[in-house]
Amino acid sequence: MSVTVLKPGLETTVQEYPGRRNMLRDGVPPSGPLDDWSFRLANLLVGNEAGAAALECQFLGPTLRFDAPALISVCGGDLSATLDGAPLPLWTGVKVLAGQTLSFGAPRLGARAYVAIAGGVDAPPVMGSRATYVTASLGGIDGGPLKAGQIIPIGEPALAARPGRVARTDRRPPIPSSKAHRISVVPGPKNDWITAAGCERFYGATWKLTSRSNRVGFRIEGGGIEFSRKAFEKDPENGDHPSNIIDIGYPIGGINWAGESPIILMHDCITLGGFIIPFTVPSGEFWKLAQMKPWETIHFFPTLVEDAQQARRKIDAVCSPGAIEG
Amino acid sequence: MIFSELDIAPAGDRHLLATIGDDASLESNFVALSFTAALDKAAIDGLCDLVPSYNSVLIQYDFDRVSYADLSIELAKIYQTIPSAADLEIESRLVKIPVLYLDPWTKACIDDYRLRIAERDYDPEFVARINHLGGPEDVVARHSGCEQWVVTVSSFPGLPILRPLDPDCALLSPKYNPPRTWTPVGSIGVGGASTSIYTIPSPGGYNLIGRTPAPVWDPSRSLSAFRDSAILLRASDRVRFTPISRDEYDEVRERVRNGSYSYSIEPGVFSTRAAQRHAATALERATGMKS
Repeated sequence: MSVTVLKPGLETTVQEYPGRRNMLRDGVPPSGPLDDWSFRLANLLVGNEAGAAALECQFLGPTLRFDAPALISVCGGDLSATLDGAPLPLWTGVKVLAGQTLSFGAPRLGARAYVAIAGGVDAPPVMGSRATYVTASLGGIDGGPLKAGQIIPIGEPALAARPGRVARTDRRPPIPSSKAHRISVVPGPKNDWITAAGCERFYGATWKLTSRSNRVGFRIEGGGIEFSRKAFEKDPENGDHPSNIIDIGYPIGGINWAGESPIILMHDCITLGGFIIPFTVPSGEFWKLAQMKPWETIHFFPTLVEDAQQARRKIDAVCSPGAIEG
Repeated sequence: MIFSELDIAPAGDRHLLATIGDDASLESNFVALSFTAALDKAAIDGLCDLVPSYNSVLIQYDFDRVSYADLSIELAKIYQTIPSAADLEIESRLVKIPVLYLDPWTKACIDDYRLRIAERDYDPEFVARINHLGGPEDVVARHSGCEQWVVTVSSFPGLPILRPLDPDCALLSPKYNPPRTWTPVGSIGVGGASTSIYTIPSPGGYNLIGRTPAPVWDPSRSLSAFRDSAILLRASDRVRFTPISRDEYDEVRERVRNGSYSYSIEPGVFSTRAAQRHAATALERATGMKS
């Protein structure tokens, strides 16, 4: 069983969850789906393991021809998916016949859709995962985003895979139609380099997601911070600018004060660098970022480590076979 | 300054940053890497990944197996077992990396930057001038003149950041501004007080002074040195950059291609006390005085 790429879409990649584990130390980020909630539901709908290799589509999805019958599901953002021209229901396991074509139109809600195919994408794992890390050409199909003409091999479907099953409405990520988003952050690791007034400025600002955003980082603008004395009275090896620090390991989700505007470090980010990270977006909020379009707004608000972990546990609990009915 | 107590701060829900000092001295890094080695040995349940740097360690943990509070207590305890910077013994291999200094490929890359982005001097001449040296040959002599300490391997896959163990071989230089948009794989760069080897075609800011034909990152794992890992160098390894000729460069490149290249790697232990004695002797020789 395989799928032929007729049109690649905008950097459509094979991803796997959770991606490359425990390799930050070697300079290799995890990669994996930005909205792992939708991703996992897509897989469960077609009888795959929740983390199985599937496709991440951004804004403009691909056009794919199925070379054999298949069971598929599309979850996440509504990118106007159609099967042979007819609207395809989201959050549903759908039977596809040999020769049928899945394509996408204009993004209607959210920004990223996940296409899971029963059996999963059968690309060879590279350094422990099939997730694509484009920067270093690792994983996926030949280390990069999909290209027209490529053949995507699909594995053996699970015996229990059957069409018509649906992800329960109350178990789906509540992707908002509003263009204004509230996203929590855990203060740290370097928030003592910011004044209290600077923190208030950060939380009070209306931030905008810019179009210079991708799987490496989301650049935001519109607000500011204020550096404390620590940022100025520091060892010269930190660098000249108050946002410069002696290189630290970078956490995914870190809001990285690099140059003229901050970057939220995403799943393909560099793993170490010399810019301050005063706040970190916890992993339970990534699905919200993943479904934002450029120029939508963010208000950040502080949360505690334990609360962020509890929020994450809730999402993990939802991403289980109990979320699927029918 | 090296902290008497470990400084711990959250970095989201799955990471924390443990900081051991406030400077980027080699002493701080010796302590950070000894702490990292102690963490590896302790094998704390729930501790998943570590990114050591100059004076800190980023730690990724599984909060379903260990809480932030419990992990913090455990880390602080282990930090207290680390001897003072003067008394450290760190496992440290010595790896030789052959380099064609002042090579044509990094020169072409610099020329391309000059043409498309901004006017600048040829990097080896720029580094020589900034460091009050006679010319590019003196830059090469310093860069290849002592063992370089691997501070960390991170940012891009397998990319090492190194500092010279002998202060007489220091090279200081500001990084590119704006950065380069591309850099040939294998390029050797210097920036700030550090040096590095580019492992993937990437943007960059270090001044380019040479190129190695021997990879330090090999995801295909075709060479024997990569049998256990795609990464050649580890934090706390020492590297000796060895100048080679163009003929030798081509020969090594061919052996890398056909999979027969083997690196010179010697296991060893780095002792901060012995290094200090060595530095004191060098100072005595240089000043003609006994301290």
